Amino acid sequence: MTAHRQRQILVAACVMCLVALAMIVWSIVLPSPLSVMVAMSVAQGIGTLSLMLYVWVVIADLRRARVLGEDEKAAASPAPGKDGNVG
Amino acid sequence: MATSILGNPLPAITILCAVIAAALLVHYIVKRPPLNTQTKLLLLAGLGLFPILSAGSGSYAGFVQTTKRDFCGGCHVMEPWIKDAEDPHSTSLSAMHARNELFGDKSCYTCHADYGMFGTVATKIAGLHHVYGYLTKYWDTPLEEAVKTIKIFKPFPNSTCTHCHSTTLPGFAQVPDHKATADDATASCASKGCHGPAHPFASNGEPTAPPHGAPATGGTP
Repeated sequence: MTAHRQRQILVAACVMCLVALAMIVWSIVLPSPLSVMVAMSVAQGIGTLSLMLYVWVVIADLRRARVLGEDEKAAASPAPGKDGNVG
Repeated sequence: MATSILGNPLPAITILCAVIAAALLVHYIVKRPPLNTQTKLLLLAGLGLFPILSAGSGSYAGFVQTTKRDFCGGCHVMEPWIKDAEDPHSTSLSAMHARNELFGDKSCYTCHADYGMFGTVATKIAGLHHVYGYLTKYWDTPLEEAVKTIKIFKPFPNSTCTHCHSTTLPGFAQVPDHKATADDATASCASKGCHGPAHPFASNGEPTAPPHGAPATGGTP
């Protein structure tokens, strides 16, 4: 996953979370059967989805960082000799 | 407002957490910082911590709101019942209970909620049934028709009355009709001729007692 793609997903997650928060605040400011039900179902679903997107991006980033770290470590360490011992 | 926030801080906590989360999220969207550890922690707070706090306190505040009379009156067809409950001169059983401080603005919920371990859950499921009925059937029903057609889903259980009114006091057994209820489990306390009807509308929508008229049959021990 590229950094640009990560940013796109995180911005989408932020926008979704803002929509969910707006629904929750709506249910508090103007409590009605519709607003309370939307806040307890749709808003929580959208909010959970946005958090899952964040977790997905962070896991992908950590995996990428680990792979890069291994590559850098391999590049930094000297090549093994013919007998397999590090020279 | 200050008193209500002190009395029930959950709405204030909900809005405060939502505002903090929104500020963090807008900051990320506008500034677009690189995804380093600091940004990840900022987003964890903006997408996780504060929204979860807001949703949790908001859900509980929403649950409390569903127990209030105003919430029941949110569906327009309930207006006649709400008007009667809030009428300080009404002598209907529901209005008399609504004037009781123990019922207060939760008078609908107190009488129509199920009790016991799963009572709250059963009540909420029944509430969803009401919402479904309103959205599919009653959303455009005129009030005149509403009082004729809307009925309670299941017979009003006497256990709701005995939740507060004792049946073990000596005076209770001295009333002959009360003895009859012991043999006939289907006889409702709130039925017409006993202590009811609970609301001033018969099944045909006609008023059962003048709202400002004589006291309803029976008393409240």
